[in-house]
Amino acid sequence: MEKTIYIFSSGELKRKGNTLYFETEENRKYIPVEDTGEIMIFGEVDINKKLLEFLSQKEILMHYFNYNGYYMGTFYPREHLNSGYMILKQSEYYMDEKKRLELARQFVIGAGKNIRQVLKYYNNRDCDLEDGLKRIEEIFTSMPEIITINQLMALEGNMREQYYKCFDTITQNQDFVFEERSRRPPRNYMNTLVSFGNTLMYTTVLSEIYKTHLDPRIGFLHATNFRRFSLNLDVAEIFKPIIIDRLIFSLIRKNMVTKKDFDKNTEGIMLKDKAKQVFVQQMDEKLKVTIKHRELGRHVSYRRLIRLELYKLAKHLIDEKKYEPFIANW
Amino acid sequence: MQNKEIHITGTLVWYYYICHREVWFMGRQIVPDQDNPNIDIGRFIGENAYSRESKKEIAVGNSRFDIIRNKEGHLVISEIKKSSKFKDSARMQLAFYLSELETLGITARGELLFPEEKRKETIVLDDKLRAHLEQARRDILRIMYLPVPPPAQKKSLCKNCAYAELCWA
Repeated sequence: MEKTIYIFSSGELKRKGNTLYFETEENRKYIPVEDTGEIMIFGEVDINKKLLEFLSQKEILMHYFNYNGYYMGTFYPREHLNSGYMILKQSEYYMDEKKRLELARQFVIGAGKNIRQVLKYYNNRDCDLEDGLKRIEEIFTSMPEIITINQLMALEGNMREQYYKCFDTITQNQDFVFEERSRRPPRNYMNTLVSFGNTLMYTTVLSEIYKTHLDPRIGFLHATNFRRFSLNLDVAEIFKPIIIDRLIFSLIRKNMVTKKDFDKNTEGIMLKDKAKQVFVQQMDEKLKVTIKHRELGRHVSYRRLIRLELYKLAKHLIDEKKYEPFIANW
Repeated sequence: MQNKEIHITGTLVWYYYICHREVWFMGRQIVPDQDNPNIDIGRFIGENAYSRESKKEIAVGNSRFDIIRNKEGHLVISEIKKSSKFKDSARMQLAFYLSELETLGITARGELLFPEEKRKETIVLDDKLRAHLEQARRDILRIMYLPVPPPAQKKSLCKNCAYAELCWA
């Protein structure tokens, strides 16, 4: 499988012959290009046009994060998978209110069911989450009454609020009290972890979308606003609970991240580089974990599951098979 | 799909004898998963085999010939394949190219090349092949006009197919 390259140090990334070359003051390293799927840049990295040309030719995405770990943007090579047919279909499903709602609803259902799965898991271990589970079930029962995207967004918000209330019971750690969701800037350690994790999830899904015929600018739950990517936000909803949130819980419960890993600055509370590295490393490992896919008869990684989700979406758009979100069953 | 967008290509003929679903996808430029290793292998063989031949990848109309050359006064077009596993498919693809040339008033012979197996096979367009092609052409159009792709059917081919994940997701 192609690797994700994470760069935290400062230096120069360039093309050298037919390979990538990263040079810092102390270190120099060759990165085999055929092996590379995407590059995530957290450090101060100098690049030149020759490198961009090379990445474009090899269809490698380069994602940029600022000093605080916020997503800045992506070098998205000129599209290489072009099917006018698919773009038209995607637009058709966006423009038609009913069709759009039907898809958006599936994303919320997927998110909700995976949230439930996460809570059930901890409920069966050492946490009492019965109340939280019950509240989420209740919100879920009003799903059939939803007839507009706005109502759907509101339901999703309520559900997430109840879900976040369960976080403190799961982490059992005073340092990581959730309180409420705060972003830009995140006001406590837990929110900082959630923001960072979600950012990673969005970029990972974006990289997978790039390898399909779907257009990342046309989302269904998250309104398309013609200037930023939104389809990746939709699909990420399904995977955030089972990949990111589980990762955060395990980082805290195993003390792999502690309050010493955070900095306070004018932008709010930020993760230090070392903790960011631990996070991405754990995320990377998680994405490589495989499960047996019954229909397909192949072992697929979590990363691949994201791609399969996009294929399912494509099949929905070409009117072949109704989209049903992936639900973890453990 | 609008009429003018539709033209049958050699690749579609190739797929027609393997999987009709692939014809439908290919006809809409929905290409298979480019991460599939078999795609790289095929491309590599195509690019590196017969490297002494200078004229490669010639496009005529909607056809792209791997190699085109003159042998003792005869025009010979060649198609390079990874293996002879889908020989019938390859034969019809080449026959299609020959018939495209024929409509331009060019008579040519075809050669299937299997560099990995160090084998080749000659194809001459005859009436029987022409009739087969005509039937295939009509059926390919029929498939391309279907509003949804023909349903996936699990065959042994799916195991290595780069469309499998799209089909079975």
